[in-house]
Amino acid sequence: MSKRRVTLKILLFLVATDIFETLTQFFFKKSAMLQSSFTFKNLGDTIAFMKPLVFSPYLWLGFIFVFLTFVLWSTVLSKIDLSVAVPIASFSYILVPLVSIYFLHEVMTFLDWTGIFFILVGVVFVSMSSGKSKVSTQ
Amino acid sequence: MKANVLFIIFLIFLTSVFDTVNQLLLKTSINSLESNVNSIKKAFYFIAKLLFMPKIWLGFLFCCASLIVWLFALSKADLNFAFSADSMHYILIALTSRIFLKEKVGLWRWVGTFFIVIGIILLTYSNA
Repeated sequence: MSKRRVTLKILLFLVATDIFETLTQFFFKKSAMLQSSFTFKNLGDTIAFMKPLVFSPYLWLGFIFVFLTFVLWSTVLSKIDLSVAVPIASFSYILVPLVSIYFLHEVMTFLDWTGIFFILVGVVFVSMSSGKSKVSTQ
Repeated sequence: MKANVLFIIFLIFLTSVFDTVNQLLLKTSINSLESNVNSIKKAFYFIAKLLFMPKIWLGFLFCCASLIVWLFALSKADLNFAFSADSMHYILIALTSRIFLKEKVGLWRWVGTFFIVIGIILLTYSNA
């Protein structure tokens, strides 16, 4: 059961999904940075760990983008196959490092990019097979 | 970040495990329902039925646990490293789908999984 081809509109939706996913992780990271020196001693520390995060706007901005990503992603999947959507959506594996470098001042080496390249190839392969092995619903 | 890269990998692994358990619970719940949802009314019933399944709420608990561990990992690790290493959930999903859901995992998926493993090893080595 193959769905419609990728149109410009769907492509824009997918790019937006990538951007929203990246923003989600960016805001999660911003909220987590509030507790960068936190150490867990027992499970009861969970509340102490989460408290400043829950009261920071970053975590909630993250949740908003989780929701937006979910809505866009569901829309995209209703139009095209998962095996087509995932490789295009994997663009976030490049976008997140770029955002990390420019906005979080993280340092990335050539070896890091090589690792990401392998992951990207892996994700494309993993999703490609889903189209072929899918049981026909007709 | 240099220090404790294995501890961070362990945290990300834990996040992925919790997320995978959540996905398996969701999938088995959904599989047990009639999947012929072709109208908004049926979609509404479908979701309502799901909300009455204990498995869904158990899944939600794992989802929360996954988020908390993820935030803890992010508080220790660089975002670019953590986000890339989190791709290990593809591997866990492939393995558990095969073991618990008896789904067929094709050759290409194993090849992809292999590439992801290499990528994560390179990243770990680079950040150690």
